[in-house]
Amino acid sequence: MPTLFAQLSTLLSSLVLLFGITLLWRRSLHAYVDAFQWQSVTLSIVFATVAYFTSNPELYVVAAIFFVLKAVIIPLYLNRLEKQVGERPESQPYVNIATSLASAGLLVVLAYLITYPVVRVSLLPTRGGLPLAMGLIFIGLFAVITRKQALTQIVSFLVLENGIALLAVLGTFGVPLIVELGVFLDVLMGFLVMQVFVYHIHGTFESIDVEQLNRLKH
Amino acid sequence: MTFLLLLLPPLLAAGLAFIVRSYRPLIGWINALFALVSLSAALGLAGQALAGGEALTFGPGQFLRSDSLSALLLVCVTAIAALTLFLSPGLGRTIGYTDTQLRRYHLFINLLLFAMLLAVVANNVGVMWVAIEATTIFSAFIIPLTLTKSSVEASWKYILLSSVGIALAFAGTVLAYLDFVALGGEAQNALNWPVLRATAPMLHPEIMRLAFIFLLVGYGTKAGIAPMHTWKPDAYGEAPAPLGALMSSALLAVAMYALLRWKVVTDAAVGGHYADNLLLALGLLSLGIASFSLVLARNYKRLLAYSSIEHTGLICLGLGLGPLGLFAALLHLVNHTIAKALMFFLAGNIERRYLSTLMENVRGLLKTMPGTGVLFAAGLLALVGLPPFGLFVSEFALFRAGFALGYFWLMGAVLVLLAVAFVAFIRHLNHMLYGVPPAGVTIGEAGNWRNGLLGLGLAVLVVLGLTLPAPLMGLLNQIVVSVAR
Repeated sequence: MPTLFAQLSTLLSSLVLLFGITLLWRRSLHAYVDAFQWQSVTLSIVFATVAYFTSNPELYVVAAIFFVLKAVIIPLYLNRLEKQVGERPESQPYVNIATSLASAGLLVVLAYLITYPVVRVSLLPTRGGLPLAMGLIFIGLFAVITRKQALTQIVSFLVLENGIALLAVLGTFGVPLIVELGVFLDVLMGFLVMQVFVYHIHGTFESIDVEQLNRLKH
Repeated sequence: MTFLLLLLPPLLAAGLAFIVRSYRPLIGWINALFALVSLSAALGLAGQALAGGEALTFGPGQFLRSDSLSALLLVCVTAIAALTLFLSPGLGRTIGYTDTQLRRYHLFINLLLFAMLLAVVANNVGVMWVAIEATTIFSAFIIPLTLTKSSVEASWKYILLSSVGIALAFAGTVLAYLDFVALGGEAQNALNWPVLRATAPMLHPEIMRLAFIFLLVGYGTKAGIAPMHTWKPDAYGEAPAPLGALMSSALLAVAMYALLRWKVVTDAAVGGHYADNLLLALGLLSLGIASFSLVLARNYKRLLAYSSIEHTGLICLGLGLGPLGLFAALLHLVNHTIAKALMFFLAGNIERRYLSTLMENVRGLLKTMPGTGVLFAAGLLALVGLPPFGLFVSEFALFRAGFALGYFWLMGAVLVLLAVAFVAFIRHLNHMLYGVPPAGVTIGEAGNWRNGLLGLGLAVLVVLGLTLPAPLMGLLNQIVVSVAR
């Protein structure tokens, strides 16, 4: 019988993964932001859970910063951005929804395969969630590649980052605080830069469809 | 103390550029002088590494660390940075930029420099990652200094691809750390490179194998190793010349440095030729893609970008070819850093005169700009690996390393690909140097100190081609010995 900690961490990780898969079957940008926001909230709960069971006060701090940054500030900015550049549904992603969902399933299976050696040698109570975190990383990567709008690409990238955060908290119970703070700073700055570029793309191309970004060849 | 002299000047320079609301040429000059302070600090650290051999550390928990490998990189990065800052827009010429653009340029180029230096001296591989990620962000601010459709497109591709790539490198870092925590419990210094390396033989090889794939893809994206190279021609093609120079030489070197640090840990954990074989495969792929792209290139800045993919490939090959190969790879890194930085500044000169980056529009370079033309030709010949330039020596060393290990087919393929690149380069160069200059392009170029500075760089390349200076030789030997230990 797995411990409560093991069960909780696997359950919560599955939820985090599910919010990631939501990206692949919703079309409107609004749904993307919502899914990302709920995923970040769940992920902060994962942080807090791990902090509680490992009695690591530092992780509570990380959970709090994570919540403020990814569940409040970034979604706020995303919604504002969406209002300003105008909402247009992700009309025709490079891969259609049915294929996307099937690929997501395959990617999760792949994640189980490649993390198998890690899970096998690991003694962590949270090891059950590791393949799910890897699956989320793959799904984020897949979404970045197949979406066509700058904003949906950003949200996909943020989801990919959430996957890495999940991997870090489940696998290591938190990387050293100094690294964690640096990562937060980079996430925030990276997001702000990308946001500036959405305005630039909108301003110079009068649309945020990155399909038009095809001028540069040879 | 030396560490502070190294890291503070770029921060101060960035602060100065930020505080002074409208840009003044004086700021640019002060920033350039600051870069010289960093350069002397780097030389000081290299001197100490040569004299002592032991790694120097600084700060709480040995936050900063410099061994012979860091010292070599520091000298390369700060030297190119000093050159870049002296040749930046806003020092005696504005080249059509507004004051706001110049202020932004000077702010972010110094922050970029700070992040690169921090990546090299950070003891903790997590902090190294944070610094390398920061370089992406800072450089993305400068590429679209003037907003055009092309520059926006290039920077978007650059920032998205690099961010995704570097995120994967973090996943790799986490995977390596995961095993460490499982073995020894949590420790604040577990991500410090010497600790990681000392523990590596006890780590599970299967986890480290997986981690290295992520790290290779991640830092490989940043270095522009094929098949993660696609952002490179776009970004280099659109970036202002000084940024192109810094990115294609120093930033590339920093990314390869991160990869080398992890390769050493992986080798200690996995053993055998696991990492070597991966590097050889990707190196050959980069070389192949780059050689044929060189043939098709129509834009001379993109031509330089493809050449940089080619040389990244060569460096990867060297890293996979044992101690002799490592020696050749590092020497090649130094040579390429100098040569590529020069070429981007010369390309900037050409672009300002011809107002086009397409090679079909650039004819009669020797007539219109004799100084730049001669330097450009010499630089291209250096890049294709002709004597008497340094790249000839390092490529030769690379082949020796490959043949010594019995990789005859591999080295044969490399030779063929280098020949393809050679022919492509010479054809493009002929087209640009001779012929009738297009109407409207002014003829003649006054001698100036800027070209003199570039000529000095070329002279260094010639020196490196004729002899291997004792301090450089000493540093390289120390690195090879310490990595093999």
